[in-house]
Amino acid sequence: MLTLQTWIVQALLVFLTTDSIGGLLDPCGYINPESPVVQLGSNFTAVCVLKEKCMDYFHVNANYIFWKTNHVTVPKEQYTVINRTASSVTFTNIPLLNSQLTCNIRTFGQIDQNVYGIRIISGLPPEKPKNLNCIVNEGKKMMCQWAPGRETYLETNFTLKSEWATEKFDDCEAKRDTPTSCTVDYSPVYFVNIEVWVEAENALGKVTSDHINFDPIDKVKPNAPHNLSVNNSEELSSILKLTWINSNIKNFITLKYNIQYRTKDASTWSQIPPEDTASTRSSFTVQDLKPFTEYVFRIRCMKADGKGFWSDWSEEASGITYEDRPSKAPSFWYKIEPSRTHGHRSVQLIWKTLPPFEANGKILDYEVTVTRWKSRLQNYTVNGTELTVNLTNDRYIATLTARNLVGKSDASVLTIPACDFQATHPVMDLKAFPKDNVLWVEWTATNGSVNKYILEWCVLSDTLPCIPDWQQEDGTVHRTYLRAPSKGPTVRTKKVGKNEAVLEWDQLPVDVQNGFIRNYTIFYRTIIGNETAVNVDSSHTEYTLSSLTSDTLYMVRMAAYTDEGGKDGPEFTFTTPKFAQGEIEAIVVPVCLAFLLTTLLGVLFCFNKRDLIKKHIWPNVPDPSKSHIAQWSPHTPPRHNFNSKDQMYSDGNFTDVSVVEIEANDKKTFPEDMKSLDLFKREKISTEGHSSGIGGSSCMSSSRPSISSSDENESAQNTSSTVQYSTVVHSGYRHQVPSVQVFSRSESTQPLLDSEERPEDLQLVDNVEGSDGVLPRQQYFKQNCGQRETSPVISHFERSKQGSSINQEDFVRLKQQQISDHISQSSGSGQMKMFQEVSTAASFGPGTEEQVERFETVGMEAAIDEGMPKSYLPQTVRQGGYMPQ
Amino acid sequence: MKVLAAGVVPLLLVLHWKHGAGSPLPITPDNATCATRHPCQSNVMDQIRNQLVQLNSSANALFVLYYTAQGEPFPSNLDKLCRPDVTDFPPFHANGTEKARLVELYRIVAYLGASLGNITRDQKVLNPNARSLHCKLNSTSDTMRGLLSNVLCHLCSKYHVANVDVAYGPDTSNKDAFQKKKLGCQLLGKYKQVIKVVAQAF
Repeated sequence: MLTLQTWIVQALLVFLTTDSIGGLLDPCGYINPESPVVQLGSNFTAVCVLKEKCMDYFHVNANYIFWKTNHVTVPKEQYTVINRTASSVTFTNIPLLNSQLTCNIRTFGQIDQNVYGIRIISGLPPEKPKNLNCIVNEGKKMMCQWAPGRETYLETNFTLKSEWATEKFDDCEAKRDTPTSCTVDYSPVYFVNIEVWVEAENALGKVTSDHINFDPIDKVKPNAPHNLSVNNSEELSSILKLTWINSNIKNFITLKYNIQYRTKDASTWSQIPPEDTASTRSSFTVQDLKPFTEYVFRIRCMKADGKGFWSDWSEEASGITYEDRPSKAPSFWYKIEPSRTHGHRSVQLIWKTLPPFEANGKILDYEVTVTRWKSRLQNYTVNGTELTVNLTNDRYIATLTARNLVGKSDASVLTIPACDFQATHPVMDLKAFPKDNVLWVEWTATNGSVNKYILEWCVLSDTLPCIPDWQQEDGTVHRTYLRAPSKGPTVRTKKVGKNEAVLEWDQLPVDVQNGFIRNYTIFYRTIIGNETAVNVDSSHTEYTLSSLTSDTLYMVRMAAYTDEGGKDGPEFTFTTPKFAQGEIEAIVVPVCLAFLLTTLLGVLFCFNKRDLIKKHIWPNVPDPSKSHIAQWSPHTPPRHNFNSKDQMYSDGNFTDVSVVEIEANDKKTFPEDMKSLDLFKREKISTEGHSSGIGGSSCMSSSRPSISSSDENESAQNTSSTVQYSTVVHSGYRHQVPSVQVFSRSESTQPLLDSEERPEDLQLVDNVEGSDGVLPRQQYFKQNCGQRETSPVISHFERSKQGSSINQEDFVRLKQQQISDHISQSSGSGQMKMFQEVSTAASFGPGTEEQVERFETVGMEAAIDEGMPKSYLPQTVRQGGYMPQ
Repeated sequence: MKVLAAGVVPLLLVLHWKHGAGSPLPITPDNATCATRHPCQSNVMDQIRNQLVQLNSSANALFVLYYTAQGEPFPSNLDKLCRPDVTDFPPFHANGTEKARLVELYRIVAYLGASLGNITRDQKVLNPNARSLHCKLNSTSDTMRGLLSNVLCHLCSKYHVANVDVAYGPDTSNKDAFQKKKLGCQLLGKYKQVIKVVAQAF
């Protein structure tokens, strides 16, 4: 109820407020026009009309009206009182403005009252759009653009209109942010003329562009050719064949192409003559290329008749022309060094490496021949650029050819004069002078015919020795400049990575350039590998060698080439690291983590399986000293019929401690164990009276080992040793004798039983060992590792016993109970009985091993299945009392 | 209702191309009704030839794309399922006059245009993921639409033929999916066959 009242009050309040404000806001008049948009430069007149009510209230008329633009009073000269209620104001040559115009009255002679206000917007009508043009990007929709003309200062809409002769398409409204273009919604249809025009419209007018009528196919910009590939020809070193895939538009129009190419290091493109590529094709062979030079190509296409637009350039593709034989013979010269041997001289033949544009491939080696008059030709194959030969003082002819993969250069022929040769026409008037930043050398020609001139020079320096350099000139030349760089660039590594190295070098000083450096060549090689050459543009001072082998020593040198020749710089060596930066961390960290994880898992595993591990490594060997000997019958003669175990043990051939573990519990005799025992009993009931000594049950520690060894060593069943259970032995596997026998210290203080000393027992053991050789060591294997081995036996066993297994189990339980009771009553004879039966089972004779395995398996299964802590027979005996034999 | 609407779509499509195309119309040399929005270009016959070349160059690819997209048994039973047995397909006489050939071409393109509309509609339902097929069908339909415009323009401007009676293929909207696929395959097989003849005739 209270809420309703509140609502009503609020509603009334709002109503009254609105009404009163409405009354207050009711203007005294109005201005016509209400929302004027005025063309720039035109005249504009606004009329303010007062309302009668207001005029009466304020006692005013039109004469009281005054105008303001942006709060500035308009001069009264521009006013015109039309009648008693209306006054107008006129503006001439409206400028660009967006101003407020208000009509005001002065009431009571001093109070200015605003009557009405409007906003004047000025601008220009749209100009006729020009330069309308459309483009159809292949596979996309048509886009048209135009020049919108002058700025209108008003919101102007541009609409692209299009139609076929038979139908009209939807208009395309240009977006605000792109008012000069529009992309139509429909897919372009080729070979149908379409008429297109643009309409521009704003508040001051509408104007239409010229109509253009065209076939969209003539406005198409095809997709660029793709999959451009470059292949060289082994037959011709001056050609490269380009192949590419055209866009689908080639199916119904003819294309023409632009193919451009450049050498890898160049920045400007050369173009194949367009007339050679004026029709649709998908391959082209470029000719007149330099041999063994890498070229980069790109291609574009357009409609063959030139209507439309060029496609974008394709992806660049590069290829290397095949090698050609060196086009020029290397410059060849010699130096004679005095020889100690009389009548001989040492001649150093030297030559210049060919620049790449003359080598036309990788120079594999140089062949030098040296011939003396009428003597045998001597051939040399040299990888470097010099060869020292011992010659007599006679005249020799030396020839030099450079060889690459394709062939040999022409031969440079050099005559090495005889020792006493005197030049008849030596060069005269040798002059050197600098000009144009190079050092010129001029000489007077000799009268005779000259094959070639050799210029030798060296730099005169106070600090450096005269290291002569030389260059070769044709025989017709009498003036030249020292061209080749007198010094090669010194290369060094900036950064060495596992598989790459960034080389850097300094620009050669002008003084040593001897011309314009055209390019550098970087030679690099491993100690055993072939040399690789890379050409680098002269503008570079850095280059990255890639695809290097890690952990390898590289030797690198650079040569600078002018148009006339090159000069090698000093060799530099560097070794790539074995691992990349961060690689070691990337390897070590995961390895450490894996190791840590493995360790943790191992610890966890050990922790969880500590009982099992303990059993295998340091089993609980019961301390006989803590045995409670209920009865001691030293006079009881050993009842074994076989060799006692102690014989075996005396030889160190003890069974494994695991044997010890598989044992009946002191309190709880497992049914399975009993079952196995029972089985033994049933299988060998007839062998009564065979006793198993306490040692057998302690050292062998179980009835089962005794059983399993029955076929191999019957004597093992009959144990009378008093300390056997305290001996831990690493047994060998099968016929292998353990290398080390380990004995744990016996803490037993019990005396040895008589049987231990019995020679007949020893004899029996020996016999058995001799006859079989498979001793209880084998049991160790069977019991510990024989799961797989025994599994088929289990099956066999199960098959053989399947019919009675249930009854047997019951029987075993019954037996267990009986035995348990028996033991609990400290019945030494009962205990004996049990072991007797086991022993008899063991002594079942030289039964098959399979039988033995059955028993072992059953026994082991019993132990595993129960998963109970293993106890040792002596502990069992503890209750029943120690029962020496 | 949906079926009705589906059947009407291709009809409207053709109606959009040409007023009165839905009803059998005689060849009427009526200059008054033969008004175009703007004059035909002079090279319209060249454009018609180019359009036929364009259609012919893509017809086989469309056919292959179609039966591949339908899956088995179509690709392995083309002879049975895609045999170009379209009984009501408009005839074409390559040795007729230009006017007669253009009129027959008009009928063929109108027929094909409507059928392609049906196929496109069906395929968007039957094979919604066969984008390249849809694209190719749309592209072919667009080209046919342009061809129809050119033929009409030329008939109108040169021969003053404003109306041509046309016929359409069966409406597939009430057919089952397999029949739709089969009829589409037959039609495209027929199209591939016919467009080659027509392209050569011009």
